[in-house]
Amino acid sequence: MILGTLQRRIVVVFVGLLVLVLALIVGLVSSSNNRIVANEATRELAAGARIFTRLVEQNQRQLETAATVLAGDFAFREAIATQDQSTVQSVIRNHGLRIGAQAMMVISTEGKMIADTQQQSVLPRSFQFADLLAGAQTAGKSSGFRQMADGFLYQIVLVPILAPKLIAWVAMGFLVDDSWARELSDMTGLTVSVARRHGAAVALLASSLETAKRTVLAQTLQDSSSASTVVLAIGDEHYQTLQMPLAQEVSVVLQRSLEQAQLPFRALQTVLLIVVFAGVALFAIGSMMLARRIVRPVNELSASVRRIQAGDYTQPVPKLPLDEIGQLAMSFDHMRERIANREEKILRLAYEDNLTGLPNRTRFLESLSQLPAHTSGAVAILNIDRFALINNALGNRVGDRLLIKIGERLSQITPVPKLIARLWGDEFAFLLDGTDKQAATAFAQSVLGILNHPITLDGQRLDVGGSLGIAMYPQDAGDATALLRRADQALVAAKRRHTGFEFSADSGDEPVHEKLSLVGEMREALARQEFVLYYQPKLDLASKKITGAEALLRWRHPTRGLIAPVHFIPFAEQTGFIREITPWLLERVVEQTARWYHEGLSIQVSANLSALDILNPNLVGHVRGLLQQHRLASENLCLEITESALMDEPELALAHLTELSLLGVKLSIDDYGSGQASLGYLKTLPVHELKIDQSFVTSVADSRKNAAIVRSTIVLSHELGLTVTAEGAETPGDLSWLERNGCDMAQGYGIARPMPADALPGWIANYCLPAATHR
Amino acid sequence: MSSALATRLLAPLLFCVNAIAANIEATVLSPAGKPVEDAAVVMEPVVGANPKRQRTVTIEQRDREFIPYVTIVQTGTMVEFPNHDAFKHHIYSFSPAKVFEIKLYADKPSQPVLFDKAGEVALGCNIHDWMEAYVLVVNSAYFAKTGSGGRAIIRDVPAGRYRLRVWHPRQKAEAPLRDVEVRSGPTPTRLDLLADVAARASKPKPPLDSGKY
Repeated sequence: MILGTLQRRIVVVFVGLLVLVLALIVGLVSSSNNRIVANEATRELAAGARIFTRLVEQNQRQLETAATVLAGDFAFREAIATQDQSTVQSVIRNHGLRIGAQAMMVISTEGKMIADTQQQSVLPRSFQFADLLAGAQTAGKSSGFRQMADGFLYQIVLVPILAPKLIAWVAMGFLVDDSWARELSDMTGLTVSVARRHGAAVALLASSLETAKRTVLAQTLQDSSSASTVVLAIGDEHYQTLQMPLAQEVSVVLQRSLEQAQLPFRALQTVLLIVVFAGVALFAIGSMMLARRIVRPVNELSASVRRIQAGDYTQPVPKLPLDEIGQLAMSFDHMRERIANREEKILRLAYEDNLTGLPNRTRFLESLSQLPAHTSGAVAILNIDRFALINNALGNRVGDRLLIKIGERLSQITPVPKLIARLWGDEFAFLLDGTDKQAATAFAQSVLGILNHPITLDGQRLDVGGSLGIAMYPQDAGDATALLRRADQALVAAKRRHTGFEFSADSGDEPVHEKLSLVGEMREALARQEFVLYYQPKLDLASKKITGAEALLRWRHPTRGLIAPVHFIPFAEQTGFIREITPWLLERVVEQTARWYHEGLSIQVSANLSALDILNPNLVGHVRGLLQQHRLASENLCLEITESALMDEPELALAHLTELSLLGVKLSIDDYGSGQASLGYLKTLPVHELKIDQSFVTSVADSRKNAAIVRSTIVLSHELGLTVTAEGAETPGDLSWLERNGCDMAQGYGIARPMPADALPGWIANYCLPAATHR
Repeated sequence: MSSALATRLLAPLLFCVNAIAANIEATVLSPAGKPVEDAAVVMEPVVGANPKRQRTVTIEQRDREFIPYVTIVQTGTMVEFPNHDAFKHHIYSFSPAKVFEIKLYADKPSQPVLFDKAGEVALGCNIHDWMEAYVLVVNSAYFAKTGSGGRAIIRDVPAGRYRLRVWHPRQKAEAPLRDVEVRSGPTPTRLDLLADVAARASKPKPPLDSGKY
């Protein structure tokens, strides 16, 4: 049995209280016993003393009577009357024997000793107890306790000898010795001792005590006063002691042993103690059993609660008897059920996409990371093409319903993937465990096949398409996040190449760029001047002249070669390191532009700003300072901002843009069409230029859809007073289509790839229109 | 006091005693002036004849008492102790003047007791402790015992010089002897005498009807 804390406490408290109460009772009984004993002893002593006094008086009267009778004996009187010394001597011996007196004296009427059984030689002399004689002369007889010359105490009775006239006195002495004391002790129930005080010295003349105790008593008496009742200790025993004077210097010491008086109480106390100990033991066992009965269900309950705490909600709390603890257990069980339900709900919320009811990104990543080692398979990410435009054109509610429909369709796909999730927005992901590349290809095709069927919402047919990026594990990446990123890169590639789907491995490049993400490395790169600016010329379609260029950041990595911005700029933006890069970039751009300008090449150079840069309060001051420093006219500088960069804090961004605009710097909206901003919003901004995202521009000549979008954008932009630059113009067809449709500027491989700064002036000088050269 | 008293007492003696004989009237008083009963007044001639008077005196035992309480006898007097009670008595004397004992007897003892030595004799009864009597044995023939009035009369005392003695069984002290001159004449010689006497101790006497005594 293990004594639990509660159990021990219950036992300790119960038993402790009982012990306390019993101790009080025992203490009370004991103290009252002691008081009773003391009172009893005192009372017994007083009663004994009265008996003693009466006995002595009675004894005295008997002795007097006996002495009187003896003194009346004719022969005795006759003998005394002879006055013959030896006759008298012998008769008193004889009659002394008869009466049992140890001392006999005959005294003349004049008070002279006539005969004495004790001291015959010194006669005649006066009777030594003149007071007794005087008393006898008055009262006819007298008696008292007197110590005689032999040192012993006698009870002396003095009676006249009448013949018939008084002829002499006879004194009879009865020895007060131990047997006398013992006799009285028997009758009174007290210890009887006779003590003689002479000065400070106390001698015991007789006692009923055993010899050993006498000396102690004598000594004790020496130290105590002779007054009243006291308690004296003789050895280990205590005596209630009363002293009464017997004669001059002589007193009788009556004692009652307290220990003897206590004997019956001691027996009672012993019984009481046995009862107490037995009671406490019984109580201890009883309370221990009770405590165990209380504690056992508590322990069971506690174990259940610990299971719940550990997250195991499956085991019900054990059924207990329906007392308070049983009710508690029941409450716990209800609680367990509700917690289980709630946890399920929370899990659902945490792992489920609200809109489609599909698992969400978290769940997907978790499932991915929980895949057993050494398994292989594929992760595919699906992005719905042109969803942003649909959302923009038809509203969020339609967009949401479209996503729900798409989710429903994807759920019916066969073979059923291990997991289908909606990552965010218009991106879905599939976990294809145990799939090889071939099966993954088939899967991607079936997904695209499903999406090819138009979706009807409110009777409106919507054409949706999608692109898939597929990453294989374990070969493409080791962990879930990296795997998703690789799939994402493949998706970007698929979109760019319009191939429908791409495998990560085929989307080329993408070395271990995780390492590039390190801020430290970027900072070192900045210091070592590994960052360089490439410039891509911008063609004015109307004049057919190069009137501008976009500065593009490149990382000339010592071991990896040239790294595209897409591989480090997002990370730099994410970590805030962009705030160090942008000032450097702006300085280079302004410096370069100024140099070209002063060398006679006047072009407008664009630089990209990130969201963080827009919100940077120092931006405007910095730009102004650079322009002044390099004596560059502000219209030679154009700053490009993506739509999404304005979304974080639109008001502050607007304020900074306005300042820049007032400064005279040109402002451009980058990648228009890839985000979700509307033209309606853009018209409120102080911008001058709109750059149409290359995904719309590329092959604009061949795609009617893209052509429509681009055309309408150009028209709308012009309506709003914005110039339009088309990015990604790759072919002469694109260029001529753009020219025909009134686009202001074009930029792309169709004109020139980005080039180092020192190559640009020469390139511009040699430029002639591709249409002319058929390059 | 004693010399003044003596002059007062002696004066009539010197002047009022006739030539042949005279009666002596003595009054014995206690110091408090109360008459003393049972006192013996004894006159012993200093010179001259001291006649012997042969007589028998009786001390009775009646109702468990000696009667009389005091008896004065001349030496050589026989005393009878007749017992008038229905039971026996055992009379005794341990007095040096006459030690005797008449063991349990009834009626009259066969022999009277001769008191032949001057002195006082205390008599008791061995079986009745309260009984007591005194016999004063004197050498003179002139003596008398006071009655309840304290008066004692000694008749026909020849003129002459006498030694006067007053005695009482319970006297506290022996009275001093005095000389008295007796002159014959018709007028009795009056003597005022003094005796200091203790009260008679009462000794318990059980009633007779108890039948045990």
